[in-house]
Amino acid sequence: MTTAAGGPPSPNTPSDLALGFLTGGVIGASLAGFVSGCVLGRTPLIVLGLALPVGYGLVVFLASLPRRAREAAVVPSRALALIEALEAVGGETSDVPVRFELSVVPDDAPAFRVGIRQEINLVELPDYRPRGVVVVEYPPDRPWKARIVKRPTPEWERRAAGARLDSVPGPAMREEHGSGCAGGLLTVLGLLLGAGAVLLLFRTELFAAVEDGAGAPRPAVTSSFSSSSSATITVTSVTGTVALGPGQSMLDQGEPRKAVDSLMRDGEQRQALTVVVQDRQLTVVFDPAGGVPGAGSPSAGSPSAGSPGAGFPGTGQGLGFDPRSLPYDRIPGLVEEARSTLGVKSPKSWQLTADGITGALTLRIVVTGDGGSATLEADGRGQVLRRSGG
Amino acid sequence: MGWDGFLLLWCGLWAVVALVGLGRSLAGVTADQRKVRLTGRIVRVTQPRHGGSRKGGIAVVVRYRDPVSGEEVTVTNDGERGETITAAWEGREVGVGYPPGRPHAYRFSNAPEQPGRGLGRPALALFLLCAGLVALAAVRWGWPWVLIGVAGPWAVAGIVQLPRAVQEKAARLGRLAVLEAVPGRVVAVLRDVSVDDDGHTSTTITPVLSFTTRGGTAVTAYCPTDLPGQAGAYGRELTVHHDPSDPAVFTLDASAGRRSVERGVRYHVLMIVVLVATTVVGAVLL
Repeated sequence: MTTAAGGPPSPNTPSDLALGFLTGGVIGASLAGFVSGCVLGRTPLIVLGLALPVGYGLVVFLASLPRRAREAAVVPSRALALIEALEAVGGETSDVPVRFELSVVPDDAPAFRVGIRQEINLVELPDYRPRGVVVVEYPPDRPWKARIVKRPTPEWERRAAGARLDSVPGPAMREEHGSGCAGGLLTVLGLLLGAGAVLLLFRTELFAAVEDGAGAPRPAVTSSFSSSSSATITVTSVTGTVALGPGQSMLDQGEPRKAVDSLMRDGEQRQALTVVVQDRQLTVVFDPAGGVPGAGSPSAGSPSAGSPGAGFPGTGQGLGFDPRSLPYDRIPGLVEEARSTLGVKSPKSWQLTADGITGALTLRIVVTGDGGSATLEADGRGQVLRRSGG
Repeated sequence: MGWDGFLLLWCGLWAVVALVGLGRSLAGVTADQRKVRLTGRIVRVTQPRHGGSRKGGIAVVVRYRDPVSGEEVTVTNDGERGETITAAWEGREVGVGYPPGRPHAYRFSNAPEQPGRGLGRPALALFLLCAGLVALAAVRWGWPWVLIGVAGPWAVAGIVQLPRAVQEKAARLGRLAVLEAVPGRVVAVLRDVSVDDDGHTSTTITPVLSFTTRGGTAVTAYCPTDLPGQAGAYGRELTVHHDPSDPAVFTLDASAGRRSVERGVRYHVLMIVVLVATTVVGAVLL
């Protein structure tokens, strides 16, 4: 007799394969995202790499809730079973996995043959022998999930002790473990594709970082890309440069501030030693000591950062300053003033240099034209201090 | 979005989870509150086999009365059935619980349980929220906030719990003073060999004691402490000091039990001192 409960689930169902592929993709993408985030120093990418598998696990868990609730509500059936064959399949622990082939004979359903695998303690192994009778428990809708009840109730113990069972002919039902070779391959493929997609998305920055790390003597991070406004940005551990494209100027409204912001990562408080602004280029020389202001000191971005005597945390000598604290809105006015009031004939080029070498943040604007150059100095707030040359 | 933003998101998420959990608890719809809790009685104890495994606890047959049908139900601790029964005797009361409508999913507890409030998950969410707030404080105002945020609440909790710990110490010392000494015997030594992912093998030895109280109750129990040369302790005779009102509370060395109780309170006070000192250091470093 064979069971009427149907056979075990066939492996490689499309939903299993799709889930395996998706799981592989999520693992690959989150791993690649996390590593890329660490390499590029991007907080959102790091957090995404950590949150993605958690979110995915949560979704899978919630999606499987109805099925698991349905399975948990099924009252398991109990029956006597005849051990047709058993084989210990190795193991170094005290509980060894054993493969059983059982003829299960329920009281109120057709008998069936099933192959299961269950761990049995070595000391108890002699209790299980071919032609022996055991008590088994199984979900009626999934009889291939049968398991031997090692501690049956006294009633079932008595029944098993006095039972004489016949073998059930026919092949044994077995639970298919995993989704087979194709499923494994699809999972690996998903993993590779997930990781590849992330790497492809950040390829330029990652390769630049890797190349920079291998070739340059000391740069920690280098990134170079073209933004929508045709600016080329290059950042190393000690310098950051923004070169504007054709038709743009650092004298345009808000351009220098935008350039400095693009050199600083979110929440970063690096200190600068020097900021140099030319017509189409802005360069920041960062404090190699790190230059993150300590708690309670004049922090980055505070108005006092540019005032004399305020101190410039970030270097042992107190020369560093927050590059974002410069009076960028005053730069066009100062440059115009230098070009028009210092007596330089036909001014051709200009350069603004900001540093804190003298202890207070100072802006020097040098204008060069036919027959010489002239300099205008201003303080950290953009107030003109002196004029020379011309 | 920087670390600040993500930490705020983290805190907001767990705050919502905690509030939802609290609301469910107040509405009385958590799984813990809906769980059916019954009292069962052990009707048969099977002595563990020498050399066997400690997994699954001491094999017992438990009988309880079904509240719906009024019939006696007999169950065993086969498979994953909740708390491990480590001390058993015929007539011992144990807790039997299961989700409503699913008596086949029963779980044991070593003692009959009181109805729960279902606040475990909201409490966990609250803990994660607090951890996020501490991290946020550290990011915004400096790392010493980690010291204050971690050690401070634990120090307060330790100080609040101290009077209770002292009372419990007195109660436990009182119980230890009235322990009854009876002869016992190691009736089996269980041996569990496991292999971890690195291939390292570890062996857990569990001696099993059998003793009979002066009231005639035959108790089988896993030995709670290591015995000298316990791998070869099979058949060894020893003296068991047990609580006359609850044979599950026993020791092989009453004086060691007293020292352990004394040490417990000392460790409690020491931990409070360390936590307070850590909090102060954090405050000074701000």
